[in-house]
Amino acid sequence: MTELAQTVVLSLLVGGIYALVASGLTLIFGVMRVINIAHGAFLILGAFIAYTLWSQLGLDPLVGVVITTPIVFGLGWLIYRLLVRPIRNAPMSSTVLLTFGLALVVEGVMGEIWGNDSTAIRPSYVDQSFHIGGVFLPKAQVYGGLLAVVVLLALWAILTKTWLGRAIRAAAANPASAELVGIKVTSVAAVVFGLGLAAAGAGGAITGVLYSFLPGSHYLWIARLLAIVVLGGLGSLEGAVLSALIFGIAETVTAVYISPAWATAVPYAIVFFVLLIRPQGLLGTRLRDDVVAA
Amino acid sequence: MSHVSIRHGWKTRWKVMALVGVMSLGLAACGNSSSSGGSGGSGGDLTIGASLPLTGDFSEPGSAAKQGYQVWQTLINANGGLLGKKVKLVIKDDASNQNTIVTDYNALVSQDKVDLLLGTFSSLLNLPASSVAEKNRMLYVEPAGGSPDMFNRGYKYLFFAQQATADKQGLVFADWVKNLPADQRPKTAAYPTLDDPFAAPNVDGIRQVLEAAGIKTVYKTTYAIDTKNYDSIVAAMKSANPDLVVHGATFEDGVGLTRAMLKSGWTPKMFYETSTPSFADQYVKAIGEPNTEGVMYAVSYSPEAATPGNKEFVAQYKKMFGTAIPPEDAADAYAAAQVMQAAVEGVGSIDDQLKLADWLRAHPVDTILGKLSWDDTGAPQSQFLIGQWQKGVAQVVLPPEVATAKPEVGWHPGS
Repeated sequence: MTELAQTVVLSLLVGGIYALVASGLTLIFGVMRVINIAHGAFLILGAFIAYTLWSQLGLDPLVGVVITTPIVFGLGWLIYRLLVRPIRNAPMSSTVLLTFGLALVVEGVMGEIWGNDSTAIRPSYVDQSFHIGGVFLPKAQVYGGLLAVVVLLALWAILTKTWLGRAIRAAAANPASAELVGIKVTSVAAVVFGLGLAAAGAGGAITGVLYSFLPGSHYLWIARLLAIVVLGGLGSLEGAVLSALIFGIAETVTAVYISPAWATAVPYAIVFFVLLIRPQGLLGTRLRDDVVAA
Repeated sequence: MSHVSIRHGWKTRWKVMALVGVMSLGLAACGNSSSSGGSGGSGGDLTIGASLPLTGDFSEPGSAAKQGYQVWQTLINANGGLLGKKVKLVIKDDASNQNTIVTDYNALVSQDKVDLLLGTFSSLLNLPASSVAEKNRMLYVEPAGGSPDMFNRGYKYLFFAQQATADKQGLVFADWVKNLPADQRPKTAAYPTLDDPFAAPNVDGIRQVLEAAGIKTVYKTTYAIDTKNYDSIVAAMKSANPDLVVHGATFEDGVGLTRAMLKSGWTPKMFYETSTPSFADQYVKAIGEPNTEGVMYAVSYSPEAATPGNKEFVAQYKKMFGTAIPPEDAADAYAAAQVMQAAVEGVGSIDDQLKLADWLRAHPVDTILGKLSWDDTGAPQSQFLIGQWQKGVAQVVLPPEVATAKPEVGWHPGS
């Protein structure tokens, strides 16, 4: 029973952080139909910025999210203006190629600035846990998970309770009509790209505390993140959250009850079977194009 | 209308191509391939090529290996070069990718037309790279690829420049454990390992000795390279509660599992880990110095070793890279270059590289790792060193004849 409780707790803590990181990726796709292969690279960039704030200024990396997030947002806004906007209407394969190139450049730049050594952020609580009965809750994961929930709620509030959010949703649903009612879709898209990367940056500050990282670590993240947003339904924030929790549970339960050797394979098998039944993902909307193709 | 669409399409495509072009240039500027030590034209130079994982998963050891090659290049050029020629290095970045490395080594041979090759980092990458060298009949001395699978292919040009293959690297540790007094000897052991051609045989070699000595295996598992979450493995080990954990790791996963044990509040009485603890500064920064106390590991190199040329290597490394503690991978790369150098100087020519290989099979070579010798397959025939972290210092504790400190029983994190 203790083992099961431990497994559930660890699953949810892992899933919550996956949810935050994947939310930005699905948001960018939802509004712009851009699959951002560079998302993992900006996650690692967020981790490196958090590391610098922690090692140079002594700022706790989780508190440092208030600085990391705006920096990555600004970068995202700028990148959209300079690189993504010119090819917004190009085929999706062009944006995949562009963002893949962007990921490689970001990796190279990080290597030049911080080096290719493994980096770890070790605030005082990093090796500590809360113990409840026989269950341990790693403090870093608890704090990181709570912060992820706060950032996700803020993102949800922006999308549902503000004029900007309504503009974003309108631009996602029908860009042409959104323009007609006075929404500058290009400006909204720049903000969305910035917000999406900012979520990755915030996630990076959190994951940087949990795992050591180096510039090349983004390869390990992007495959997992893409699978999460596809499972949840491309463009669906709620779907990404649900899917991330499923991923976290599947990884942890498999590692404990089957074998760690299968822990990274089973979630992808789940994605495969779900897509066989629901090609649009768990909470995705089936597009007219999908129906025609079917 | 269609005319407009086509023009728009072309315009967009040009923009995409221009952007990708700019990015490619940026990437190239970040160091995709580099050469040093010569001023073009290989007429009077001896060109030596290698591809290393300077980016991607293995970028850390790959960058260290590059440093080792560069130190060797600087020292040999300062001493008159190789066969009287100035040495020029051509080093490519394989991005830790098995496909890229094949392309790189083919390019080194056919486009860069290098005179000699040096190996890359990890069994994973050396397996395909050594095939390219073998096909081209070029000597291939590699610094870090100890999987037994490297040496069962009947290759003639392949040599591993460390003391032993992976399956034998932990045997000195296993023998020490099984001979401990009964009250100190572990009764149970756990063996988590990365699914890796180096780490897994290393752990298996130790497990076989300890099981034969009556130390019961209570947990054994293999995990994939993209594993991020080690808490579940630790939760399972905590339930099994072994006295000894033998962990097959590279670096990131070694740090991940160690940190997961510390977080869980459960740690075994003894802890042995492959590779990770040998990363000196980075290891200490990753898990915290107090948590290193008593961790044991197999290691090929000690900066304090009184081996031929080690003092010069350490001094030059400090001059070039600012620290007097070279990482093990830098030392291994330096030793690989020493082995190649010995063969070239022994034969006196590089025209027939089978002669270089035959020379190595017949002659032991003094390196900064100690004296190395090989069997017919290119597998080394010496004993590995066992290191242990004691009071924040990485000591060599076994075998006794080269030890810098006595081995201590137990892992004492937080000391």
